[in-house]
Amino acid sequence: MNIIDFLLQHSPALIVAIPLLGAFLTPLISRINNKARNIFVILILGLTTSIVFLLANDVFAGNIHTYVFGSQDLALPIVRILFEVDAMSAFMAIIGSILALVAVIYSWAFIKENTGLDKFYTLILLTTAGMFGMVLTGDMFNLFVFLEITSIASCALIAFWTNKGKSVEAGFKYIVISSIGALFLLFAIALLYGQYNALNIATLANAIQFSFLDKIALVLLIAAFAMKAGIVPMHMWLPDAYSKAPASVTIVLVGATQASLYGVFRVCFTLYGNTINLSPASIGWIIVLLGLITMLLGVAMALIQSDFKRLIAFSAVAEIGFMFLGIGAGLTVLGNAEMMAAIGIPAMSGGVFHIMNDALDIGLLFLVAGAIYYATRETSLDKLGGLARNMKYTTVFFIIGLFAVSGIPPMNGFASKLLIYESTFQLNPILSIVAILSSIMLLAVFVKVFHSVFLGPSLPKFKEVKEVPKSMLIAMGIIASIIIVFGLFPELIINNIVEPAVSALVNYGDYIREVIPTFTGGI
Amino acid sequence: MSMLETLLGTFQTGSGFWNPIVWIIVAALVFLITYILRGFGNKKYKKGTEQVKSFLSGNPEYEKEKMHVKGSNLFWGFTESLKWIFDILHKMHTGNISDYVLWFVIVMAVLFLLVGLM
Amino acid sequence: MDFIEISQTALLIIIGTVGLALFGMFFGLLYKGIDRKLSAHMQGRIGPPIRQPFRDVIKLFTKENIVPENAVPWIFNMAPLIGLVATISILLYLPLGGFPPLLSNMGDLILILYLLIIPSLAMVIGGFASGSPYATVGAQREMATMIAYEFPLAIIIISIAWKLSLEGVTNVFALSSIVSAPIWSSAGPIGFIGFIILLITLIIVTPAELSKIPFDSPEAETEIAGGILVEYSGRNLAMFYLTDGVKTIVMASLIVALFFPYNLSPLFGFGSYPAFAIDILFYLVKVLLVILFSVTLIRVAVARLKIDQIVYTYWVPLTLLSLVGLICIMWDQTIMANFGLNTVFEMLGLI
Repeated sequence: MNIIDFLLQHSPALIVAIPLLGAFLTPLISRINNKARNIFVILILGLTTSIVFLLANDVFAGNIHTYVFGSQDLALPIVRILFEVDAMSAFMAIIGSILALVAVIYSWAFIKENTGLDKFYTLILLTTAGMFGMVLTGDMFNLFVFLEITSIASCALIAFWTNKGKSVEAGFKYIVISSIGALFLLFAIALLYGQYNALNIATLANAIQFSFLDKIALVLLIAAFAMKAGIVPMHMWLPDAYSKAPASVTIVLVGATQASLYGVFRVCFTLYGNTINLSPASIGWIIVLLGLITMLLGVAMALIQSDFKRLIAFSAVAEIGFMFLGIGAGLTVLGNAEMMAAIGIPAMSGGVFHIMNDALDIGLLFLVAGAIYYATRETSLDKLGGLARNMKYTTVFFIIGLFAVSGIPPMNGFASKLLIYESTFQLNPILSIVAILSSIMLLAVFVKVFHSVFLGPSLPKFKEVKEVPKSMLIAMGIIASIIIVFGLFPELIINNIVEPAVSALVNYGDYIREVIPTFTGGI
Repeated sequence: MSMLETLLGTFQTGSGFWNPIVWIIVAALVFLITYILRGFGNKKYKKGTEQVKSFLSGNPEYEKEKMHVKGSNLFWGFTESLKWIFDILHKMHTGNISDYVLWFVIVMAVLFLLVGLM
Repeated sequence: MDFIEISQTALLIIIGTVGLALFGMFFGLLYKGIDRKLSAHMQGRIGPPIRQPFRDVIKLFTKENIVPENAVPWIFNMAPLIGLVATISILLYLPLGGFPPLLSNMGDLILILYLLIIPSLAMVIGGFASGSPYATVGAQREMATMIAYEFPLAIIIISIAWKLSLEGVTNVFALSSIVSAPIWSSAGPIGFIGFIILLITLIIVTPAELSKIPFDSPEAETEIAGGILVEYSGRNLAMFYLTDGVKTIVMASLIVALFFPYNLSPLFGFGSYPAFAIDILFYLVKVLLVILFSVTLIRVAVARLKIDQIVYTYWVPLTLLSLVGLICIMWDQTIMANFGLNTVFEMLGLI
C-alpha cells in the first residue's frame, strides 16, 4: 500500500505519537541551535496537522476509524486500549492542531528573549499530544490519563514567567483545580468499572443501565468536565490562568479547555446515550441552564475588568455558555425525532460551529493582547492608549476579532449565533433573548477595550513603540483569514465539517457498533 | 455553474436565511455610491493651526495622559444603575483557592439533588 | 441558473440598490424636515421650512473637514462611511411600499437587528476616535444606551417570531413570511392586549435607537457640548446627518412591516400601476404616522433623562412590560388552542 494509505491506517496513533516523540527530541535539538529547534517544532506540528487533515477528510466522509493498542481478540476484556475517531473527534482535532501550529509560529518572536525555551517548546508539544489523546481516545481511563498529561504540562506553561509571583500563583491554582477535577473523574470511572467490568466507552455504553451508581457517575463526570471547561460558578480559575500565562500558551490552553468541553458531550451523548429514555430531557435542561448562567455572569464580569487579558478570559467564559446552550438544547430533544430535526439539529450545528469559531476568535484576541504586551510591557487598560497610530496591523486584527466575537455580520460569529438564536427560541423564547443580550454586551466590552488601548491621543511614553515582528503578524494573519473565510462561506463549512460532527454525536449507535457489531438500538 | 451556486449559496437555518456574499457585493456597491457622494464635499482644512486642537469649551488642555479617559471609567452609567448585581459579583470573586473548590462542591451537590430527584 | 438569469438578477439588484439609496436619503431628509416643522408648531414656534435639512446637508458639504490632532485619522474618516453604508443596506431587506424586499430570501429579521447596531457602533467608534474627552463620554453613553434598549427589542422580536412559529408559518424570521401572516389575525383577546403592549414598547425603544430626546444623553448639547459629534465637521458630519435620516426611515419601516403590514390596493381592486401607486402612498403615510408618534410627540413632551436613568428605564420597567406582553401571548396561545375563539367570546359575554 502506498504512503497515504499507510498514514491513514495508522493515523490515530501517529497523531498522538509524533508530538510526543518531538517533545522528547526537542531538548536534544535545542543544544544545536535555537533556530533549528524552532524549525523542528514547527515541522513536527505541521506534519501532525497534515495527518489530522488527512484523517478528518476520511472520517467526514462517513467512516469511523478505530485503532487498537494491544490484543485484537475482543473476547478478552481489558487488554487493549482503543482509539476511536468519529467525526466529532476529528473536528476537535482540527481545532487543536490549528491552534497549536499558530501558537508555535507566534512564539518564534514573542518568547525569544526568555531562558528555558527548550522546556517551553517541550511542554507545548506535550500539551498538544495530551489534547489530541483526549479527543481521539475511546477508553475512559485513557481519557483520564491524557487529561492529567494536559493539565500537568499546561500548569508548568502557565507558570512560565517565574520571575513574577502572580504567574506561579496562577499555575498553583490551576493545578489544584485540575487535580480535584481529575480525581473526581477517576472516582466516576472507578464506579463504572466496578459495575460493568469494562473501561471502553463503547462497551460501557452498550452495558449501561441508569442505576443509582450510574447517576452518581454521571453527575461526577459532568461536574468535573464542566469545571475544567470553565462553567460558572466554577470558572474562577480561568481568568487567573489565562491572564498570567504568555499569550501563545493561552491559545493552546483554549484548545485544552475545549477538549474538556468535548468530554462533557462525549459522556452525555455517547456514554449515556442508550439510557435517554430512562432519563428524559432533564439532563439537557441542566446543561442549558448552566449555559445561560455562564453567558450572563461571564459577560457581566467582563464589563468591569481593567486588565486586558482578564477581560478577554471572562468573555471566553461567556462564549463557552453559548456552546453549552446550543448543544444542551439538542440534548433536550434527543429522544424525539421530529423535534430533533426542527430544533435539535440546527441548535447543535450552531453549538458545534461555535466551538471552532470561538477558538479562533478568542485566540486572535489573546494574540493581539500578547502583541500589545510585547510592544509596551503594559497590560492594564488604564495605562495604555493611542496605539492605533503605531501598530496599524495589530489594530486591523483587533477590529476583525471584535466583529467576529460579538457576532456582527459578515464574520463567522454571526453565522453560528444565527443558528443558535433561530432554533432555541422554539424551545423557550427566554433562551434566545438572553443569548442576544449577552452577545450585545460582549460588543460593549470589546469596544471599551478598543478605546482604552488603541484610540485616544498619542501618549508620549509610547512614542517609540513599533509594530510587532513579522512572525507574530503572520500567526495573527492566519487566524484572521480563516475567520473571514468561515464568515463568507458558512454553508460550505456547515455542510462538510459541522454536519458530520453533529450526526456523529446524535447517532451514538454508529459509535457503539464499531466495537460491538451486535448492538441494536440507537437513533 | 454548480460551483458558483455553492459559493453564492444562501445559508439556511431552520427559520431564516443569510447570504454573506450578496451582502458583501451590495455593501461594496453602496460604499461606492456614498464614496462618490462624499467626494462632493470639501476635503481641505488648515493643518497645524488652532483648528486641529481639541474643543474643550475654553478649558486649558493638560498633558495627554490626563486627557485620555481611562478604561475603567467607561460605562459608568451602566455599572451605576445595576450596582447591586456588580457588587454581588465582585464579592463572589475572592481569588481564594478554597472558595473555588467550595463552588465546585456546591454545584456538584445541586446536580446530585437534581439528577437524583429525576 | 444560467448566465442570462444571473446577469438579469444582478442588474435588478444594482438598479434597486441605487434607487433605494436615493429613496432612503431623500425621504429621510424630508421626514426630518416635517418632524422639525411639526415639533416647532407643537411648541408654539414657526420652525424652519420643510426643505431645511436638504439645505443643511448642502451647506455642510461646503464646510472644511477638520481632523483634530488627537484623532486617529483613518478611523475618524472611515466611521461615518461605514455607518451610512450599513444603514442603506438594511433598506434592501425591508418590505417597502407593500412590495416584497429586494433580497427577500437572503436575509432575515436577526440580520436586520444586527445591521441596526452598525450605525450606532460607527458613531461610537467615531466618537472614541476623536480623542476628545467630551466625545469619549458621549460615545460610552451611546454604548450603554445600546445595551439598554437591546433587551426589550430582543424580547419583542423573539415574541413575534415565537407566536408565528406556533401558527405553523415556515421561515418565521423572514420578513416576507411575517408580512404575509399579520400577527393580529391569529390572536385572541389576551393576545391582542399582549401585542398592543409590545407595540407600545417598540415605540418607546425607537427614540433610543435614533438618539432623540428623552434618550439622547450621548448627544446632549447642553451637558457635553455635542457629545459624540463634537469634533466632526464638514462632509463627515453630513454623512452622520444622512445616516440619522435613513435610520429613521428604516426603524419606521420595521415597525410598519412587523405590526401594520396591510395594503390598500386589494380594497380598491385596481390593476398593476395604480395599485403600486396607492400602495406606496399608503406606506409613506404609515411611516409618517409612526415617526409622528414615536419621535415627534415624545420629543416635545418630555425632558432628557440621565444615563443611569436611561439604563434603569429600559432594563427594569420596559423589560418587565414586554415580558408581560410575552406572557399574555403565551397564555393566549394555550387558551386559543384549548378553547377556540367562539368559546372565548362566549365566556366574555360578547355573544
